[in-house]
Amino acid sequence: MKVIKNTLGNSNDIIIREITIGKAEKNTISSEITIGKSEEHAMMMIYIDGLSDKTTISDSVIDKMMQEFEEAQDTDVETIKQYVKETCLTVGDVNDILNFTALYNSILNGDTVILLDGVTTGIVTSTKSAKDRAITEPSTESVIRGPRESFTETLRTNTALIRRKIKSPNLWIKSRVIGEVTKTDVAVMYVNGIANDKIVAEVLSRLDRINIDGILESGYIEDFIQDSKFTIFPTVFNSERPDVIAGELLEGKIAILVDGTPFVLIVPALFTSFLQSAEDYYQHWFISSFVRILRFFGVSLALMAPSLYVAITTFHQEMLPTAMLISIASQREGVPFPAVVEALIMELAFEILREAGLRMPRTIGPAVSIVGTLVIGQAAVEAGIVSAVMVIIVALTAICSFLFPAYGLSNTIRFLRFPLMILAAMLGLFGVMFGLMMIIIHLCSIRTFGVPYLSPFGPLILKDQKDALVLFPRRALLTRPRLISQKNNVRGHKYFSVKKRN
Amino acid sequence: MSKIKTICLLLIVTIFLSGCWSKRELNELAIVSALGIDKVDDEFEVTVQIVVPGEISSKAPTSGRSPVTTNYAKGKTIFEAIRKMTTLSTRKIYFAHTQVVIIGEELAKEGISEALDLISRDHEFRNDFNVIIAHEATAKEVLNILTPIEKVPANKMINSLNTSEKAWGSTISINIDELVSTLSSPETSPILSAIEIKGDATLGMGATNVDKVKTPVVLKYAGLAVFKEDKYIGLLTEEESKSVSFLSDKIQSTIEIIACPKGGTLATEITKSKTKIKGKFENGTPKIDVRIDVEQNVGEVECTINLTSHKSIDYVNKKTEEVIQQQIEKTISTVQQTYRADIFGFGEELHRTDPKKWKKIKDDWPTIFQELPVNVEVHVKTKGLGTMQNSLLNKKKKE
Repeated sequence: MKVIKNTLGNSNDIIIREITIGKAEKNTISSEITIGKSEEHAMMMIYIDGLSDKTTISDSVIDKMMQEFEEAQDTDVETIKQYVKETCLTVGDVNDILNFTALYNSILNGDTVILLDGVTTGIVTSTKSAKDRAITEPSTESVIRGPRESFTETLRTNTALIRRKIKSPNLWIKSRVIGEVTKTDVAVMYVNGIANDKIVAEVLSRLDRINIDGILESGYIEDFIQDSKFTIFPTVFNSERPDVIAGELLEGKIAILVDGTPFVLIVPALFTSFLQSAEDYYQHWFISSFVRILRFFGVSLALMAPSLYVAITTFHQEMLPTAMLISIASQREGVPFPAVVEALIMELAFEILREAGLRMPRTIGPAVSIVGTLVIGQAAVEAGIVSAVMVIIVALTAICSFLFPAYGLSNTIRFLRFPLMILAAMLGLFGVMFGLMMIIIHLCSIRTFGVPYLSPFGPLILKDQKDALVLFPRRALLTRPRLISQKNNVRGHKYFSVKKRN
Repeated sequence: MSKIKTICLLLIVTIFLSGCWSKRELNELAIVSALGIDKVDDEFEVTVQIVVPGEISSKAPTSGRSPVTTNYAKGKTIFEAIRKMTTLSTRKIYFAHTQVVIIGEELAKEGISEALDLISRDHEFRNDFNVIIAHEATAKEVLNILTPIEKVPANKMINSLNTSEKAWGSTISINIDELVSTLSSPETSPILSAIEIKGDATLGMGATNVDKVKTPVVLKYAGLAVFKEDKYIGLLTEEESKSVSFLSDKIQSTIEIIACPKGGTLATEITKSKTKIKGKFENGTPKIDVRIDVEQNVGEVECTINLTSHKSIDYVNKKTEEVIQQQIEKTISTVQQTYRADIFGFGEELHRTDPKKWKKIKDDWPTIFQELPVNVEVHVKTKGLGTMQNSLLNKKKKE
């Protein structure tokens, strides 16, 4: 007992309840329960306050034991143990443990361990009940039409949320415990028969290879399992919406759930998945297609608008219509900086504002945005430090960068703007094209769990175009993405021969 | 690995090597809206009209200063003159947005080929600006006149050139590419629109010119200038210019006035016109057939005519055909007799019809052109009467 206490550092949230059994008379002290007639047997229960469900412990463990032992007559320690395990405990999950490591794991997971003096094995009863958050509306991916639930920090709740969407025995979960100190539960979820077995095996082996002291968020795992360590494009998708994850699972992808974070990872993640929102599938396909094209356009604009402005106004003035050129020139009149410096200042100012707005306490947020709009938007133009066109460009870029349904890609694009701007300032449109080509070449070279990142565009897969840049009507979407799930490709077997659902 | 790194490094270095050589900030440029070329004492005088961006902006102008400024320089070649201008101008002169090039009358009479070489050769010039000539004025004078409504006079010149081409037909917008290709063809002679100054040229320079309700000095298109080879030889009247537009199939819309049977006039609006020129050789003598299909609406009736009857529509059709035909024939004979320059491209058409026979007459073309028989055929269809049928004059008579 002392050994256990010492290992856990005498922390005061560990509760050890000692019971002596074997005395003939009942003791009046409530903390000691005596059972039996002959020898005395010390018995103790260990659990951690806060992690375990106190009601379960008192109702199903202590209460039962007190009642049962009053009647029990056996004196043999082993028999008592067996008796306790089989008859007394009215908790669902009861197991034996043999060593100290398992004991600590169980206690720290919120289970209650019962030890009997003279017996080498202990009994674990499942009494887990961590304090968790209620299921709320997703805060990062909101939709107008669609389910309003999001994942929480508890792994079990999250798996249950997915199970509720996919009620198939083929939805399999493989568990891992990662982190030498934190011992974080990680669950890998996939639909057996749809997901590619090779990718599943790859994911599991990559998870097993992780050697770290602690996992506090799924971002840790994301960093460990992604293919390329150098790319700034996200190759692992994450979402806090159960419906998104369920949809991806049905496409043959694999979800990685990590205890302690509402963000669930999905692999393999393609470039297109960052530009697709859950809502696309809930709306009319025509509108979704329009919105998707808008997003692709927005991505390009968010990436290139400032660099194009810099390139055109400093190298290729002949590309602008005369009236527009004169109008821009009149605004640039008296601006002390070259266009590129102006653009860099404004973009940096915007990034700073954005970061400040994010980290501020909610109540100060509006103040930041007011100062931002007033100072940057108006005063800077009026003072003649920046031109009005530049403010428009920055605002356009900013709005376009909010167009992404997935936050990960937005950050990448935000960052890539700056090198492009510098290239534009040095080489004009040629530089912008050069930069874009580098980005596209890089994108083509990335693979995520063996799947080309840019598919279905590079390599071009005609069948998968139905759900890429545009979205075809539901009844035409008969196949799953070809490169991801290679075995069970067909969504509606019944209609596959007629190529259309009715 | 080190090899790859070296290659990457070299690649990156090449990017930086090219450096910022052609970087020009917008506020370091003097945007030229119009370029004028004159000949003064064997030297070219180049005038550029430079936009002052601060005065053009949609925000209230900071001062009442002129929205454009002109710079001049003289030189043995145009290029020299342009470079000399840097001693005068505060910024680098930027020609990519030149909208119009004006050639002074003196220079036009001596020949425009030399002057056009630079502006069609230099890469900074676009090839979509128009070329016009100044009639009875120098290009410098034309460029010095401020115009109302349009702050940049070059815009005014382009806009009125285009609108009158679209709605009236007495001007033809010729851009530098067309001009150069016509100049280089041996058969055809070029035509250019000519602009003239109405009023005292020296008065048009100040802001006072645009302050008044009735602008004292205006720029007006006078008609089409006829060139023989590259020399300016004469100006066509408005009527003649319109006929030239008909012949070169550039009429989009115009007005024709015909006489009514019982006196008075009727104006028709031509909405569509298609011209076909066919050349042929009859026993070795060249002949030209011109067929013009015209669609028109009745535009204005100032006489008593019952437009609801078929007969009068036929009359209108026939009369319009006659009017157009007469005008065109008259114009052709004027050009043949007075100017002796093939501005219609008849030679080219004959060349296309029969290259072998053309070769025989090629050398005598200037003389043959003067006597060339041209058969003009006009077909007119009246499509609409406007928003009313008979004129008010009709009703009054009946009462």
